[in-house]
Amino acid sequence: MNCNDVEKYIVDFIDGQLAEDETGQIQKHIEACTNCKTLYDETVALLTAFNDVDEEVPNESLREGFYKRLEEEKQLLRPDVEVIQLRKQEKEFPWKRAFQVAASIVFLFSGYFLGSHKTKQSANQEIVALQIETNELKESVVLAMIENQSVSKRIQAVNYTEGFEQPDVKILEALIERMQYDGNINVRLAAAEALSEFPESSIVKDAFIEALTTQKNPSLQIAIIQFLVKIQEKRAIDPMKKLLEHSDTPDFVKEQVNDGISQII
Amino acid sequence: MKKLTDEELMLDVSQGNLDAMAHIFERYNKRLYNFYFQMVRDKAICEDMTQTVFYKVMRYRESYRGGQFVSWIFRIARNEFSDYYQNSKKTSRHTDVELVASKSEDSIDKNDNVSHLQEAIKILDKEERELIVLNRFQGLKYSKIAEITGSSEGAVKVKIHRIIKKLRTVYFKTI
Repeated sequence: MNCNDVEKYIVDFIDGQLAEDETGQIQKHIEACTNCKTLYDETVALLTAFNDVDEEVPNESLREGFYKRLEEEKQLLRPDVEVIQLRKQEKEFPWKRAFQVAASIVFLFSGYFLGSHKTKQSANQEIVALQIETNELKESVVLAMIENQSVSKRIQAVNYTEGFEQPDVKILEALIERMQYDGNINVRLAAAEALSEFPESSIVKDAFIEALTTQKNPSLQIAIIQFLVKIQEKRAIDPMKKLLEHSDTPDFVKEQVNDGISQII
Repeated sequence: MKKLTDEELMLDVSQGNLDAMAHIFERYNKRLYNFYFQMVRDKAICEDMTQTVFYKVMRYRESYRGGQFVSWIFRIARNEFSDYYQNSKKTSRHTDVELVASKSEDSIDKNDNVSHLQEAIKILDKEERELIVLNRFQGLKYSKIAEITGSSEGAVKVKIHRIIKKLRTVYFKTI
């Protein structure tokens, strides 16, 4: 055991943490070595000083604060107990707070319902408004395009009307005009096809009956006959019979007429 | 109730018997308060931190899973001190934040040894001071300190011996 070892073990030696033989060896060394004796004395003095430090006594407010928090924590554990205890002690029931809580709950719910109701309503309104707007836009597009010089544009405009559930009279009139007077047979056919989507409309029916006498194109004639037969239009019988008498009428159209007349009756 | 170990009391608390908490407070409040007092010699701050530790023990009682209670509560205490220390370093310019014993208070001390010791301790940094306080003032064994600080027993022992050597030099220089 040399001086370095003693320094290494001195604390454990003083604390009595060493095995018996180590303790004995250090003991011997210290008795013989003045340096290590000093080291020992100094360390003992230092460690003793720690024991001389007085314990601080905390203020009573520490205890009071703790027990107050303990009570609060206990009441959190059993919230029902709080109310009973408070009543027993005839402490005032916290009406104000209860009212605040109740009011905030009411506000919360009413806010939620009002909010959801309103947004639903306004959303619906918005959708309806948008639909109306879209339809109006479409109609004006149709009306603008239907007079276009380009045949394909006019057909396109006619086809646009397919999406309308209840088109404006203006649209129907525009379509009828196309069916009757458009210079291009394809536009007239497309218009007839589009118009046949609205068999309920009386102006459409009248237009078809009129077109039966004025139109000379066999394809269009057949389309007209088919529509009138489908809606069982009795007023169509006379003009159809006239078609039979007409010498210009092709045979296959006449066949269609005969077939149609028999179906209407 | 009073004959129960700390661990038994705390398990009781963790299962919802908050009354057992009072016994824990009575057993530990002075210890924790003095632990803080050796670190920061400011009574108000020490009281505050001690209060917070017991509050946390109560609040997080369910996180106690058995094991050495003294290590558990000192771990909480130590974390609390770290938070305080970090915050005060960030927010305050005051020197009272430092781990320095206020001289005016200690110089009136009747006991010369004690005032010398307090002076010597001033040279230690936060970690060193914490270790020596836990070991020499709180009387905790190296193994417990290792548990508290998340270190190994051997490392704690080496550090503490080194700190004592450092203190010895300063202590006898000033005497």
